[in-house]
Amino acid sequence: MKSHSHDHDHTHHHPHAEIIEVAKPGYYEIMETAVRELLFEKNLITPNEIRRQIEVLDSRTPALGAGVVAHAWVDPAFKARLLADGRKGCEELGISFYDDTQLIVLENTKHVHNLIVCTLCSCYPRPVLGLPPDWYKLKPFRARAIYEPRAVLAEFGTYIPDDVEIRVSDSTAIVRYLVLPMRPAGTDAFTEEQLAALVTRDAMIGVVPALSVTAEPAP
Amino acid sequence: MSQTEDLLKRLPNDIGGMTAEPIVQVEHMLEPWEKRCHALADVLDFHKILNTEEKRRGVEGLGSEMIGKLSYYERWIAAFANIFFQKGILTPTELAMKMEEVAARLPETPADACANS
Amino acid sequence: MSLIKQNPPTYMLQVASALGERPAFSVGKAVRVLVRFPVGHYRVPIYLRGKKGIVESIIAAPAVDNETEGFGHNAGSKLHYYRIAIPMSEIWKDYVGSTADSVRIEVYETWLKEDLT
Repeated sequence: MKSHSHDHDHTHHHPHAEIIEVAKPGYYEIMETAVRELLFEKNLITPNEIRRQIEVLDSRTPALGAGVVAHAWVDPAFKARLLADGRKGCEELGISFYDDTQLIVLENTKHVHNLIVCTLCSCYPRPVLGLPPDWYKLKPFRARAIYEPRAVLAEFGTYIPDDVEIRVSDSTAIVRYLVLPMRPAGTDAFTEEQLAALVTRDAMIGVVPALSVTAEPAP
Repeated sequence: MSQTEDLLKRLPNDIGGMTAEPIVQVEHMLEPWEKRCHALADVLDFHKILNTEEKRRGVEGLGSEMIGKLSYYERWIAAFANIFFQKGILTPTELAMKMEEVAARLPETPADACANS
Repeated sequence: MSLIKQNPPTYMLQVASALGERPAFSVGKAVRVLVRFPVGHYRVPIYLRGKKGIVESIIAAPAVDNETEGFGHNAGSKLHYYRIAIPMSEIWKDYVGSTADSVRIEVYETWLKEDLT
């Protein structure tokens, strides 16, 4: 059910061309609005704080993580710092963490492939990747990634040879994880920006590798 | 041995290792209210009014039927309401009255969405 | 907050530490996850109970027990979290994959004991 695109706690008035169907706010949207307004009335939180946090959330996308990965690929000293302390490494690049979580960056190599999951809920490196996709939060992935990672990866089209070790990291507390995929072959001439374009959100979860290169890089 | 002890021993969200279907790579753009709900959780955490762990415990406390039937953010807001009641931040009556007020003010809202709750 | 990957230096200054200040388990130590069935909130999945693993790293700063934090207890004594490596075959009897495959998971000190087997 889609909601009307305006935030109804603004008191602006404007004429709608009501040819489009205005969706009825559902029960839970009404509850969310009521809870929020009561908290405002009790001066526990402010509308500005909510607006600001929505902006923060909107600013966090997989492009941030891709930038971290690309930088690690081109700068070995940065990569070492990133692997020692993922949160500090991201903060070096200006990615602030708005919560108390820490970050461990897990490097994929020829010998080790990392996959992240939160079997108990939906822990995910939100400050650097944005919000997780539904499938990451639903039962099939959460139940199965921890005991049949190879079958799960195969469903994403990823086949890991038997001589490569798989490590499945299950987040349960204060640490979040980000996979550092292997740098694709044939990218020696790529700029950091071009490299970042090869790094998808799913590669940083660990279900797929970074995009491979078969042609010249885009200008 | 009680047949129901597993319900207490295994939390409804503790599903690592259970049999499940193939993964369907579904995702959706968050509804505005869902995003507001997420922002609300973050702001409550900053203020130490309701921390992430309390939120998790609150969702678990909804029980398996609600967890199975409510969507992700529906579970959050229901859990927040319960936790606020426990903490004395809101009362059920306050929330019910405010929900009625919100429902009445918004256009195209079926009044009985709240009246039947 | 960094990971303590190496063991502390071999010289040790002669100070008395408060309880919980120093990690109980060092990197490389064999540990076993306790078998316990708390009613209410927990953060150690059932699949892990009683399993043996190796401490891969120590999460540096001690923290409040997240299971009691779920009930709103933000203060109190702090212990360490440990990132444990556990072979898949230790957890799943019919595991299909490489014998080198493993689970990595952070576990709070209250759930671990030294494994002397």
